[in-house]
Amino acid sequence: MTSARILVVDDEPQIRRVMRTTLVARGYMVSDARSGEEALEKIREERFDLVLLDMNMPGIGGMETCRTMRSRSDIPIVILSIRNTEKDKVDALDAGADDYVTKPFSTPELLARIRAALRRAPLSTPGLPEVLELGRTAIDFATRRVTVDGKEVRLTPKEFDLLRYLASSPDVPIPHAKLLQSVWGPDYGQEVEYLRVFINQLRKKIEPEPSRPEYLLTEPWVGYRFRLPKKPQ
Amino acid sequence: MKKELLAQVIKSVRILGALALIGAITFFYFRVVSVNSVTVALTFLLAVLVVAARWGLVEALAASIAGMICFNFFFLPPIGTLTIADPQNWVALFALVATALIASHLSASARREALESTRRQHEMERLYTLSRNLLLLDSRGPLAQQITNQVAQVFELPGVAFFDRTSDRIHRAGPHDIPVEDSRLRDAALQGTVFHDPAAHTTVMPISLGGQPIGSLGIEGTRVSETALHAIANLTAITLERAHAQDVATRAEAARQSEELKSTMLDALAHEFKTPLTPIKAAVTSMLSDGSSSPTHQELLRIVVEETDRLNTMLTEAIQMSRIEAGQLQLHKSPQAMSGLLRTQLEKLAEGLEGRKVNVEVPEDVPHVSADPELIGTVIWQLLNNALQYTPPGSPLTIRAHAEQTAVVVSLEDCGPGIPEPEQQQVFEKFYRGKEHRQRIPGTGMGLTIAQEIVRAHQGRIWVESQPGKGAKFSFSLPYAAKEMAP
Repeated sequence: MTSARILVVDDEPQIRRVMRTTLVARGYMVSDARSGEEALEKIREERFDLVLLDMNMPGIGGMETCRTMRSRSDIPIVILSIRNTEKDKVDALDAGADDYVTKPFSTPELLARIRAALRRAPLSTPGLPEVLELGRTAIDFATRRVTVDGKEVRLTPKEFDLLRYLASSPDVPIPHAKLLQSVWGPDYGQEVEYLRVFINQLRKKIEPEPSRPEYLLTEPWVGYRFRLPKKPQ
Repeated sequence: MKKELLAQVIKSVRILGALALIGAITFFYFRVVSVNSVTVALTFLLAVLVVAARWGLVEALAASIAGMICFNFFFLPPIGTLTIADPQNWVALFALVATALIASHLSASARREALESTRRQHEMERLYTLSRNLLLLDSRGPLAQQITNQVAQVFELPGVAFFDRTSDRIHRAGPHDIPVEDSRLRDAALQGTVFHDPAAHTTVMPISLGGQPIGSLGIEGTRVSETALHAIANLTAITLERAHAQDVATRAEAARQSEELKSTMLDALAHEFKTPLTPIKAAVTSMLSDGSSSPTHQELLRIVVEETDRLNTMLTEAIQMSRIEAGQLQLHKSPQAMSGLLRTQLEKLAEGLEGRKVNVEVPEDVPHVSADPELIGTVIWQLLNNALQYTPPGSPLTIRAHAEQTAVVVSLEDCGPGIPEPEQQQVFEKFYRGKEHRQRIPGTGMGLTIAQEIVRAHQGRIWVESQPGKGAKFSFSLPYAAKEMAP
C-alpha cells in the first residue's frame, strides 16, 4: 500500500524538495508539479493515488486546480495552505478537497493525513444490503456506485465512505467525532466543518430536495443521522 | 451721465408730443369740424388718458394743463379769453386734471409692477444659472474663488467679496474692487449680521449653515434684491458644505486605502516569512520521526521545531493584529456552547499542559453564547497559553463559566505569581510584557490585545483580577445567543 503514487503541487522548490525526500523515504512514489496547469497535465497523463496541493500558487491557483481536478476524477486531494481560517478550509472542501493541512505542518501529521486520505473503508460492511434503494436513488455498496433515476452520480471516496458509514447504522444519531474518526481516521475528531461540507455535497447528490433532506438528517449539537425510509407494505 | 441726459431728452420730446397732440385736437375741432364743448372736453380727456397711460405723470400733467387752457380759450364762452363764465366749466377742468393724475398714477404703478416682476424673473433665472454653475464647479480648483467669480459673473455685479471662514481667506471678483474692508466681512460672518452701506451701494451678508457661521458675502450694486441675496448666501453655504462633505469622504477613503495597504503589506510579509518555515518544519520533524538520530540530536531537533513553532505563532499574531487594526475583523457569529469551545482549545493545547491539572467547571445549563467560534477559540487559546507560560508546571488551572443577566462569564484562574496591581490594566495593551518576565518568557505582547479586541467586537468585556503571589484570574463575558439554534 505504501507504493502509492503521490503528486506534490507547490510553486516553492524547497517544499517540493523536502516533500519528495520525506515521502520517498516512507516508500511513496513521488512526482511533482510547479503549478496548477502542470499538475492538471500530469494527472491527465499518469495515474496518481493522491494529490498534495498548495493553495497559493501563481497562475490558476490551488482552488481552481482543485475544482478542475475534482470535475474530472475522484482522486483524493489534500490541500496544503498557509491560511488557517475556517472559511479557507470550507472553501477548499467545497471545491472538492478531501482534507486541509495548515502550513507549516509536522511530517508525522502530514503522513497521518496522507494515510487517512488513501484509506478506503472495507468493502463489506455487516448489516448492509448490497444495494440500498432510496426512492429514486440507488446505492450499490459492492461497486461503490450511486445512481439517481438510473443515472450515475459521482461520489468521492470520502463522500462514499461517509454515506456508507451513516447508512450502516440507520436511525441512530452518530456524533461528529465518531463519524470523523471512522471515516477519516483516528487523528480526526475536531473537524466538524468537514462533516458540514461533505454532508452538504452528499445531500446535493442524493437527496431529492437538498434543502429539506429526507435521508441525511442533522442532529443538532450531536452529529448526523441516516433515516431509512419505511418500506411500503 | 449719458443715460440721464438721454432720459431728459426723451422726456422733453414726450412733453412736446403731448402738447402737440392737444394742439392737433384744438386745431381739428376749432377749424375743421365744429362740435359742442362736451365732445371737445371728452376728446381732451381721452388724450390725457392716453398720454398718462403711455408716458407718465409729467407728460399727462402738461397735456391736461394745455388741454384746460385750450378748452377755456377756444371752446368755452367767452371764446377768445381765459376767463370762465360758467362754474360748470371748473368741473370740466378739474376732471381733466384728476384724470391725468389718476391714470398716470395707475399706469405708472402697473408699469412698476411689470418691471418688478420682470426683474424678479431675471433674478430667478440668474439664481438658477448660479445654482447650476455652482453644481458644475471644478472640485479640484480653489472652490471659494470660483464661487465668488460665479456670483459676480452671473449677477453682473461690479464687485463681490467672499470671506471663507474655514480657510480664513477673502476672495474678490468683479470688474472693480468692492469698497468693503476685510474686517467688515469678518465681523459679518462672526456676528451673523447684515451690513448695508447705502452710499457705496454695498451689502455684506453672513453665510451660515445649520446655525454655524461659515463665512460672509459682500456685494456691490443695487440690482440684487434682499431675497436673492439670501438665496445666494444659501447656495454658497450648500456648495461649500457639499464640497466639504466630499472632501471628508475622499480623505476617509484615502485613509482607509492606506490602512488597507498597510495591512495587506503586513499580511503579505507575514505570509512570505511563513513560506520558508514550512520546509524547515517539515524537514526537521521528518528527521525527528524517523528515529535514526541520537538522543542529543533529537533534543537539538526538538529545539528547532519549538522555535519554528514560536516564529510561526508570532507571525500568526502579527497577521491577526494587522487585520484587527485594519478593521477587517469579520465576525461569523452563531450560537455556541461554551463547553464545546473550551474543550476544543484544551485539546489543542494538550501537549503544553505539562502535567497541569485543569478543572473545568461549566454547568450544563449555561446558555449558548453568540460567538464566532474561531475567534473566541483564539481568545480561549490566548488566555490558556498565557496561563501556561506564566505559571510553574504542575500548578492547577480552573476554568469556570456562569450565566449572568445578559451574558455568560468565563474565567480562567491560575495559581501563578499573579500580576501586580499597576500592571493589571497594562497587560491588555499592545506589546506590553510583564516587567519581571519579559526577559525570561517568550512572547510578542500581542496575545492579550488580540483577545481583548475580539471580545470587544463581540460586545463583551475582558478583565483580570489578581493578588500578587496568589495567582491571576482572567475573565471575559459574551452575550447570550438571541435564539437557540442548531449550528
